Amino acid sequence: MAFFSRIKQWLGRIFPQGPAGEDRLLLILFGAVVGICSGLAAVALNTSLHGMESFFGQYRYNWWSFLLPGIGAALSSIFLEKIIREGAGHGVPEVIYSVSRHGGLLRMRSTFSRLVSSSLTIGSGGSAGPEAPVVMSGSAIGANIAKAFSLNERHRIALVGCGSAGAVAGIFNAPIAGLVFTIEVIVGEWTALHIVPVAVASVSGAQISRILQGNQIPFTHLHFDVDVITTVAAAGLAVVTAGACILLTRMMRTSHQLAGKVPVPLWTRAAMGGMAVGIIGLFLPQVLGEGYHVIREMVEGSFGGGFSMVLILMLAKILATSLTLGWGGSGGIFAPCLVIGSFAGLMFHRGVDAVLPGFLSVNEGAFALLGMAGMISGMLQAPLTGIFLIVEVTGGYETILPLILVSVISSTVSHAFEPSSFYFRDLVEKGHYLRPRTDAKVLADLRVSEVLEKDCASVPKNMLLGDFLKVVQQSRRNYFPVIDENTGEFAGMIHLDDIRPYLFDNLLHDTVFLEQIMAADTETVDIDDELSDALDWMDASGAYSMPVVSNRRFVGMVSKATLLDRYRKELMLQTTE
Amino acid sequence: MQMLHVFRNTPHGREELLQTAQFCKTMQASPVVYIPEFTKFLLYLDNDVVQVDLDKTFLRSPGTAREHVEEIMAEMDVDNWRFFVPRHFSTPFLPDVPVGFHFMGCPHTIADLRSKAGAGYIGPRIRRILASAAFPLLLFSPVFKPFTRIAVMFGGKANAATALRLAVRLHRLSGLPISMYTAEEGRRSRKYYEKLLSKNALTGVFAQSVSDWQIFPRKEFVENLYRIPHDALVVMGAYGHGTIRQLLMGSTVEIIQAHLPNNLLIAGPHYRGLA
Repeated sequence: MAFFSRIKQWLGRIFPQGPAGEDRLLLILFGAVVGICSGLAAVALNTSLHGMESFFGQYRYNWWSFLLPGIGAALSSIFLEKIIREGAGHGVPEVIYSVSRHGGLLRMRSTFSRLVSSSLTIGSGGSAGPEAPVVMSGSAIGANIAKAFSLNERHRIALVGCGSAGAVAGIFNAPIAGLVFTIEVIVGEWTALHIVPVAVASVSGAQISRILQGNQIPFTHLHFDVDVITTVAAAGLAVVTAGACILLTRMMRTSHQLAGKVPVPLWTRAAMGGMAVGIIGLFLPQVLGEGYHVIREMVEGSFGGGFSMVLILMLAKILATSLTLGWGGSGGIFAPCLVIGSFAGLMFHRGVDAVLPGFLSVNEGAFALLGMAGMISGMLQAPLTGIFLIVEVTGGYETILPLILVSVISSTVSHAFEPSSFYFRDLVEKGHYLRPRTDAKVLADLRVSEVLEKDCASVPKNMLLGDFLKVVQQSRRNYFPVIDENTGEFAGMIHLDDIRPYLFDNLLHDTVFLEQIMAADTETVDIDDELSDALDWMDASGAYSMPVVSNRRFVGMVSKATLLDRYRKELMLQTTE
Repeated sequence: MQMLHVFRNTPHGREELLQTAQFCKTMQASPVVYIPEFTKFLLYLDNDVVQVDLDKTFLRSPGTAREHVEEIMAEMDVDNWRFFVPRHFSTPFLPDVPVGFHFMGCPHTIADLRSKAGAGYIGPRIRRILASAAFPLLLFSPVFKPFTRIAVMFGGKANAATALRLAVRLHRLSGLPISMYTAEEGRRSRKYYEKLLSKNALTGVFAQSVSDWQIFPRKEFVENLYRIPHDALVVMGAYGHGTIRQLLMGSTVEIIQAHLPNNLLIAGPHYRGLA
């Protein structure tokens, strides 16, 4: 910590404009370091993936090769569950969850666990990509560097973003895609506080990758003469890719649900999924692994087979991805989306060409590119990521107009049928998708205990009405919690409006006990409940306040007025850079 | 005040829950009992996330677990307790357990999966929880024995004052007498520790609450642990040493845990005090 303070002091001397400037400079510095580490993680994953592919590749031509993806997936699951004890998910949703709910805190073990497990899954032939694991790894590197230097929550989130950007930039050699993906998907906040360090991390990650692996783009750069017909046709392709996105999303969900019902250990489940992929791979080897070599053939226009063959391959790849990831293999959906998207593009081109020969003047490779952009944009519902990723991984700018069109239409159509992207769906369903500066995020950051009004006089339930009136005279409140004096538990509420008829009848003052006139069926909020739930209950019942209990004991009141006050303060805090 | 207790449905688990129940009853706290459905959970602390790995005994006989908890709570005459059911999950099999409690009961298997008995070994996870948690940890004895007094270790380090404040707070809640124990380090004499009390504005509190103060040489620390009554709740602060020093030299907490079978309540450097 002394080191960190010393750097801050040093920066303060150079830049006397104030702490904001120092913080940004520090973040840039940290961003560069995190970007370098994430870039190294990406290179390590690439290297280990190639190693695994070579190792498993030598057995690929045996009749029993269908077992390989099963073995890889089982080893991957055993590694994650038994050795690292990670309790794994897909990776990216966990990073988003951590950013949304816990200020970007991620476990140290996540810095390397997915690199090993995804190498096993993908290297053995599982249909998945290395991008989500490396995003997880990079983000965890950022989070743990932030932890080591005791950075605050906002800075930690920025470094998690830096890790993600450096990782994507490193694995694809695509710095802009790294930046855009991180801001669009992971951080969800287009502010200078995030963009600047994330951009630096992206550059660092890509640079490290270029130094260690050479400045290569994943797919061959070809010149495509894109005309207006191609641009218009891209709209049609977008509908096809959106359909593929919806199919993949639903099949992944079904596959996951189905796997959950099989009463076997997780590693056995992963092995079963992997073996099913292996069986598909015996007949259609193009579906195995990350599948970049297949994309290269499609982009170059040298991919054989007709319309039906490409359609079958696309469906098989969707099925294989669902079986790999849905049944417990480790990996991401970026690479499968690129493969499925290029199949979709190729299929669309060949379909149009069959119906209207010569209508599309551009090579089918261009449509493979467009298909990839459409698929990524639709699946992630992040059109900018789709556009920039494809521009960077193909090294070409000629297709930018149809790329934009296919990306925005595909993400829009996908959104119409699947309101949340693959990454966000589970988080949205569980109420964990909390973007900065949104109502949900502000409410989630407040606790019931923070808005608790404790200046409420509670009264025992066997108190006489006459005695109660003396309490009322000394109170500014018009509602009073009633307590069971024997157990200390909350018994009900008395609202002055409800008991007005009794107040002016002197005869009742010495004969009526509060227990007889209180509202015993009052709904309560538990101190551990979510504030958003409390607000929903108040809205549903039309109440302006509710009693709060802890272990059935009254601890205070929560009211909309106090809530609004704290809400505004929290909102101001979150929107001040 | 609330205390988190991770329950396991075994005879060891019963002893642990009995200790939690007695602690809560004595200190007017409410036990919050978590019956885990998975062998791990996450604690998101202020600047750290700690994964707590449990062994499979924590998942044993889930059908009778709730019933056994209810029986133990009834037997101990504790009525202000509740079950905790996780609402948030970091991954489908990894629940998040909130950290807004005032105490946490720490079964030995949280310390390390390999140290089932746990005596004399405070694992890296407990250290990490202690390093970041705002609540003290109660380390259980192997068997339940009700404590009737408080013994506070006033070591003269930065967190010793925190330990004394915690002990005094517990004394006020429970009325149990406090004895204070100090192992003299180097040339430090009683005067040094009195100055330390004064520096931390604890002289008055000390005079009012502490009935007995025993000082002994540091080099005879282990031998002098015998002075600590068998029925005392031992309260102490963790000083937050670095991992390397912990590994090379061990720690006072480690020594105390190795030699004392008592309940041990440890407050870490981020402990903020009881409301």
